[in-house]
Parts: sequence; C-alpha cells; structure tokens
Amino acid sequence: MKFVPRVLISVLFVANMPVQAATIEMNVNGLVCAFCAQGIEKQLRKFPATADVIVSLEQKLVAVALKGGQDIPDTELRRALTNAGYTVKAIQRTETPLAELRERLKQGKP
Amino acid sequence: MSRWFVGLAGASALAGPMSVMAKPIAFADGYTVMAEYGAGTMKEAQLFYAPRYDLSVGGGHVELDSDETAKSRRINYARLNYLVRRWNLDDAQANLFAWGGLGSATGNTFSGTLLAENAGAQADYETRRVYASFKMDLQRSSAFSHRIDTLQLGLAPYKHEYGGVATWFLVQARQYTGAIHRGTESAVLLRLFKGGTWIEAGVTNGGKLQAMAMFNF
Repeated sequence: MKFVPRVLISVLFVANMPVQAATIEMNVNGLVCAFCAQGIEKQLRKFPATADVIVSLEQKLVAVALKGGQDIPDTELRRALTNAGYTVKAIQRTETPLAELRERLKQGKP
Repeated sequence: MSRWFVGLAGASALAGPMSVMAKPIAFADGYTVMAEYGAGTMKEAQLFYAPRYDLSVGGGHVELDSDETAKSRRINYARLNYLVRRWNLDDAQANLFAWGGLGSATGNTFSGTLLAENAGAQADYETRRVYASFKMDLQRSSAFSHRIDTLQLGLAPYKHEYGGVATWFLVQARQYTGAIHRGTESAVLLRLFKGGTWIEAGVTNGGKLQAMAMFNF
C-alpha cells in the first residue's frame, strides 16, 4: 500500500511544476515590411535560448521557439524589439509548437 | 561613370534586386548597399553600417551630369544618418531621418578638389498597401550647391508577407537645383523586394531609365 502515497506525491509534484513554454508570441506594432521582419529576426536569433523565429506581417506577430527547458525574460525580449526599432504590445508564452503556429498562419488564422 | 560606381552597382545587382527610395538605416547591426541610376543626370552608390536601429555610418559617391549644360560633379562623401523619430502604429510605420557628412568634390566648372558638405532629410509613411516618402538631399561646396528633392507615392496590389515577394507601383517626382535638370522630372516605377534585397526600375517623362538597387544584410 506504500505505492499509492508515492504515486499521489509524484502526481502532485508534477502538477505543481511550472509548464515549460515551447513558444513565445509577441504582438508588435510597426510591422509593415520585410526589412522590419529581417531586423527583428536578426536580433532574436542572438539569444542562446532561441531555436527558431517566425514573423507574420499579417498578424503583426513575432514568435520565438525556445530550446528545451530554456526561456528568455520579457525584459530582454522587449529590449531586443526596442533595439530593433519596434514596439511590443503584448508577450505571451504558449505550448504551441512553432511548426503548428506556422501552419496556422499560412492558413491566415491568428 | 566611375569604376567605383560600376563596381558597387554591380555588387548590389548581383546581391539581388533593386530598390525604392531606400531608408538610410535598415536595421541594427546591418549593412546597406545601394546604387541608383537617376535618368542619366544622377548616379549614386552608398554603403552604410548601422550599429543601432537609429544610426548608421558610411559613405557614398554621387555623380551629377547636367542635361541642360555640360556641367558635371563627382563627389565622394562620408556620412552619418540618424533616425530622428519613428512612429510604430498598429498597421503602419512612419519615420523621420536626417543626415550630414563631408567629402571631396571635383567638377568641370572649377579646378582642383573642393571640400563638399552633404545634408538631407527624409520623411516616410508606409502601410502594407500604401507608401509615401519625401527626401531632400543637398551637396554643396564653395563652387556649387545642388539639392535633389524626391517625392514618391506607391501602391501595392496585394499585402506581401515576410518571405514572399513584395510588389509596388510608384510614381516619383524629382527636382534638381543648380542647373542639373530644368523643371520637375517624373517617373513611373515598379518595385519588387524579397527579404533583404529589392529592385526598382522605371521610366521618366523624358523616356530615360530610373533604377535603384539595394541590399540589406
């Protein structure tokens, strides 16, 4: 019967662990041309935690795929976008893989 | 046309397409190579590096050949470009740039090499379907003063996406001071760009080629 409490403890432990975001999505103002996107992508790829970057001019969205178990603080993201010359409106972390987000954007979905 | 200009224009063309009224600063930690052929009266090539998104430094070479007289100028310059203000709006961006520099000038209406001063400004507004810009660029020395004012208005037939080809149709109006060209020179232009490269070419009301190439990396 010792097994049951151990399982319960394990389940509770896992449930309380912070969820690791796969992707950071940022809504950005001023995204109107490929050069904007190019500059932003260049800045974001400098972070060691960045696995990939996509930019959607249509959705005014910049998304960063994170390397496993890593993150980039909001302050660093805002600084990078400001240094690229753009204004961040909102930042959110999701578990949506970048490939899925890319596919959704291709279909014109936000 | 100097060998320097041909080389830079060639490199720019090889690197990709040609351009619009280029922004003097593309993005932070980026290089801009640009070459323009302005209907035979103006040819210019530039190379800039931007350590920050609001500042770039570099140099250029401009050749002015009057279509009214035999007057010609050859100017090499070092220049600093500054983004005075940027407005990042929901669906648009507007910019105000200013620049200044010093260089050397030769010409066929004076002897020797003169110190040349360069100053200018550009205001632009851009959405994914509409583009407008106005640029003033002054080159002067103790022997001449030439200002080139350029207005561009553009419409995109569709909203381009990053990674795709952007297409723009533009009209351009340009005026020269200092007896380089009489009156307003107008042109219709087609602009294409993808990623960091773009090409722009068209024809003026005098039936001459107007073209520009730019590459950002």
